[in-house]
Amino acid sequence: MNTPSPNHLPLLLSLVLAALLPLAASAAAPPPANAPAPDQAAVAPAAAPAADAAGTRALDQQIQDLKKDVIDLNRDLFVLEEELLFPANTQVAVFVSMDVGDFFALDSISLKIDNREVANYLYTPRQVGALIKGGVQRLYVGNLKAGGHELVALFNGKGPNERYYRRGANLKFEKGVGAKYLELKITDHARAQQPEFEIKDWE
Amino acid sequence: MAVLAAASTLVCAAGTVSLVGHRAPDFALPAAVGSNVRLSEYRGQAVIISFWSSRCSVCAKQLTLLDRLYSTYRSSGLVVLAVSVDDEPLHAEEYARAHAASFALLLDTAKAVSRAYAIDSLPSTVLIDRGGIVRYWHGDDRADDRSYVTQIRALLDDVVAAP
Repeated sequence: MNTPSPNHLPLLLSLVLAALLPLAASAAAPPPANAPAPDQAAVAPAAAPAADAAGTRALDQQIQDLKKDVIDLNRDLFVLEEELLFPANTQVAVFVSMDVGDFFALDSISLKIDNREVANYLYTPRQVGALIKGGVQRLYVGNLKAGGHELVALFNGKGPNERYYRRGANLKFEKGVGAKYLELKITDHARAQQPEFEIKDWE
Repeated sequence: MAVLAAASTLVCAAGTVSLVGHRAPDFALPAAVGSNVRLSEYRGQAVIISFWSSRCSVCAKQLTLLDRLYSTYRSSGLVVLAVSVDDEPLHAEEYARAHAASFALLLDTAKAVSRAYAIDSLPSTVLIDRGGIVRYWHGDDRADDRSYVTQIRALLDDVVAAP
């Protein structure tokens, strides 16, 4: 593209100004008789944003309702999955709870039912903190047929002197018709200055 | 022989590459020094997992380079986890004592995590975004490559993805 020479610039500028003058004149001219009054023109644009806001709120509400439906559906599916995989007549669940934790820093728990390892869980400091604050963890959920069974839990961790050691606890229990819930409790025995490990049957 | 090794690396690494775009398998491992580490507790942060062995000569170099990256981007939310696949945890612990790294050195003696990530070559480095999705995989020891910095910055710039 050829650039205009400096000699032609004033001519070009004058032509551009001449083209712009009618536009400027029309902008300064009074509005035609049938044009709406300025106040009404200002109100019309103001009504449009209000309608947009109402539409946005309705859409937002729909989205929130959809989210709630999805969450409810997810919860129902989870419950259904649990009922199908672990029906109440064969379900056995093992929970873990912990006391203050002064005498034992939990590192891991190994769980055996009828001499078969069913769970082996490593605990992070954050999880141990949650247990100490009163949290209860579902360590294992599975199926057992009715009759006698034996649960053996091995607790690995550190004692008060930072010594690493392992303690065990076992429980023989009867699995009946309903779901069986067992709790592994780690408590501080203040008098003996040692932790206690027990398995409690929620009957 | 080098060509065969390279070819086998490419073939074997297909498993890990297939994880790209998928949720990173969660795991909990004991550390050579310190407390146990669980991957899911770092959700919301960008995570680099580097699989290594004390018998792998180039792994040491990779870990040193990753240490530098970690020092640079740690304050921005980068986490580095080095997972040892040594059969004997003692070897990894000795390495940890000899090479002071500022990130956690984890012990995967049972190889469960290595299998979950389909690791067949060392070193292997997996980059995970803040939402827990595997984004990049490297089967080399070139953590000083510009691509690492580009990818780490991309991960750190991500907002937390919805679960």
